[in-house]
Amino acid sequence: MDDATRELAQLATDRPAVLRDLKAAGKKIVPYIGHFVPEPLLYAAGVEPYLICRGGEPEPPEAVLDDMLRFLNPLARSMAGFHLMGLDPVLPLADLIVASQPECHTQRMAEYLELQGFPVFKVGIPPNWDRAYAGEYYFTELEQLKAKLEELTGKPIADEAVREYIGYFNQINALLRRIDALRKKDAPPLGGYDFIHLNHQSFFVEPQVAIEKLTAIADSLEGAPGKFAAKSPRILLAGHAVAVGDYLMMKGLEDAGAVIVTEMMDEGMQWYRWDTAVEGDPLRNLWRAKYLDKVPVNIFQPAWKVRFEHMKELIADYRVDGVVWYQLMYDEIYDMECTVVTKWLREMKVPLLKLETSYEYSREATGPLNTKIESFVESLRRGR
Amino acid sequence: MANTAYEAFLELGDFHGKERQELLPRWIEAATRLGLTEKDVEYAVNEFIPEMWDLQYLGIRKMIGAMTLEAIDHAHLKEHKANGVKLVYGIIPAILTPYQAVKKAGGDKVFVSFPDMCIMNFLQPLFHKGAPLFELAETSGLTYGCRHCALNKLRIGLRLRDVVPAPHVQWSFGLVCDEATKVDEYINCLYDDEWFAVITRMPHDTMMGEVDDEIPERVAYLANAFRDAYEEVQRVTGVTVKEEHIAGALDDFQRYLMKTDVLIRAVADADPQPLRGSALVNFCHPFSMPFNTGIEHMEDALDTMIEEVKAEVAAGRGIYPKGAPKVGSYFVPYAVPWVDKVFMDNGVATASSLTMIASDKQLIPPSGNDLYQNIAEQWLRMVFGMGCHVEIDTWIEKVNRAKPDALFMGFFDYDRWLGQMHKMGARAVEKATGVPTFYIEADFFDDRDYSREALRTRIESISQVIKMRQAAKANAALRAAAPAVAAPIAGAEGTA
Repeated sequence: MDDATRELAQLATDRPAVLRDLKAAGKKIVPYIGHFVPEPLLYAAGVEPYLICRGGEPEPPEAVLDDMLRFLNPLARSMAGFHLMGLDPVLPLADLIVASQPECHTQRMAEYLELQGFPVFKVGIPPNWDRAYAGEYYFTELEQLKAKLEELTGKPIADEAVREYIGYFNQINALLRRIDALRKKDAPPLGGYDFIHLNHQSFFVEPQVAIEKLTAIADSLEGAPGKFAAKSPRILLAGHAVAVGDYLMMKGLEDAGAVIVTEMMDEGMQWYRWDTAVEGDPLRNLWRAKYLDKVPVNIFQPAWKVRFEHMKELIADYRVDGVVWYQLMYDEIYDMECTVVTKWLREMKVPLLKLETSYEYSREATGPLNTKIESFVESLRRGR
Repeated sequence: MANTAYEAFLELGDFHGKERQELLPRWIEAATRLGLTEKDVEYAVNEFIPEMWDLQYLGIRKMIGAMTLEAIDHAHLKEHKANGVKLVYGIIPAILTPYQAVKKAGGDKVFVSFPDMCIMNFLQPLFHKGAPLFELAETSGLTYGCRHCALNKLRIGLRLRDVVPAPHVQWSFGLVCDEATKVDEYINCLYDDEWFAVITRMPHDTMMGEVDDEIPERVAYLANAFRDAYEEVQRVTGVTVKEEHIAGALDDFQRYLMKTDVLIRAVADADPQPLRGSALVNFCHPFSMPFNTGIEHMEDALDTMIEEVKAEVAAGRGIYPKGAPKVGSYFVPYAVPWVDKVFMDNGVATASSLTMIASDKQLIPPSGNDLYQNIAEQWLRMVFGMGCHVEIDTWIEKVNRAKPDALFMGFFDYDRWLGQMHKMGARAVEKATGVPTFYIEADFFDDRDYSREALRTRIESISQVIKMRQAAKANAALRAAAPAVAAPIAGAEGTA
């Protein structure tokens, strides 16, 4: 690990403490849920954003069961669970929580946070994106979010400021694309485990800092030797989200000798393949980039055929040997898409392994899991 | 006289003589297509239905007959399609007026149906035989462990078994859950690329303090979404819906609503109660699914039932002991009728259901003349169309009106929207009303995970608590009236 990587990781770790100080100095703290909440708008408003996407621990999803349904996915339950257990350092600082609302898990979770006394602003996302009126609903929501942020800070949000931050995030995207492209090599200098970490860390530092560190990391990686053997089986990781802190399965895959060369995740990673236009109405540009330009998220309808076309492109571009579908337990719509994808991949003769997590990573749980992973990786290796 | 189980079943559904004989071949064919063997039918006629249904009433038997006619018609959907009939499907929950208006406009040229709901309402409450279709969907990819909705499994199972062909258009109200509309996409991707759906969706995103139907933009958005979808339905089917059709559908709805209200009040107010709660829900099917065969059969059953209930009340007769405590619920799980039976065995009557009691808001006529705006307002006043804060208030209003001795919630664990609401709302309702509330993690349609014996113990405990509280209340009232002489009522000891 080079200095820049270490520094970026440390800055991300320290972010809650920094936010505490900023709060004391009068800054507004705005945790947010989901990537349909545009970060450039939050930064341009002068608030301090913080992505809520923590998971990977067994206790938080259990801690909410007095009031929450067992069959909500563990990531949604964790979002509230860490707070209930007193383990979330940022939510108690919140002046406003902005929650995108594309599906029932996050919708109910946002209501639960409201019942816990948090100020929540919900950004509704109609999944039927093929209807023009549905798109306008989301745009109106963004306008209302802008007004809400202005009310919170008492200052108008200048278009120029939004454009400036759109520019920063486009740079972050470009840097992540640059780093990501290194995984197309025969012997990549980093795998998915590292790349997902970089993505996570980029959410928890100011964009200018992220640009500085990612630039250094990209420079360093471009001259670095391969970290994985040239014949390592190449994996596409797909699913809903790899939460911040939920790295065990990714590590397991790469420890078993595979390399995660690309991802198709709806949450927890920057949507770095899609930039936002800078010229013109910045709110409209953010809307377009997230709602129309990007490959649709799983809950959008229709989506799965378009998403599979994207998956096929990734498989070809990154010379993928096999797909790992990372399934959050009880996440019903992803579970359905997995069945569809499994069928289509089978027709292409691309192997798929479904790994399901409840965030229960006891020794008893991880033993069979590792065996499953090792068998899959071994079968890919033999099939090459 | 019935010679076979099939004939006996029709007899039970109040089909006799020539009518029964004419219906018999189509019924046998339908039963076979739905996976019912003669043994299944025999078990239903001789054991399951007599145990679960109040067959002493002609109204109940006629209702079974009406559901049977509808199921038989559905089992022949392929023939309808082959004969050029346009198929329009939908899913629950939905406002039925526009669907029924299509039927009124299209007549025999169009088949309007919620196939999964129709077949679920037939197979589970009467035969306890939904499982093979659920399992068919599971073995084909809708995994068991993920807790998918049984209604969606049934829809997939029916398509896989080729009972239900692709519709010309499915208009799916995706306003409550995510899964139902995505099942359209699932079927399209996996099994049938002719499965065409137009979906209406709106995020659940009202903030605390906001009332869904009082946000003009929200109503307008939903109205526009309905208009968009409805125009698509008419375009695809070639059926033009006119005002008279809509008015006709609305008249049917209002008339049926008033009659069910009479029945529900008569049953809920009666002591002893003459009918089970699950039967009441079954009479409400015309609010949750369109009847392609028309609602006349259900309405005839309902008329008969009302008269029979009135007669029972007048005679002071009932199926529960006099003074039996009454338990309310979100919905009595009629598709798993043995749950109601276990309450009954424990001397507790299932009566009021939060979804069947109209709130004050629901009784206010819609504000305008625009069909779509009216549907939107109607929708947003229904409990599952609201954000949780308003829904909790509405639940409280309904509980205060119905005054049940207790409330049991749950049975929607597979539904990420409704199920979560039951968890969050139960305690708030108890706090606000003082009515004890119990949460039961179970499935409204599919009881494979919840054996009768396991749930019996739970319901027995709940029933005991309800009875002890009721006795304690009675004792307290007695003591207040005559503190020196009142003796405690047995069973009241140790109650909270």
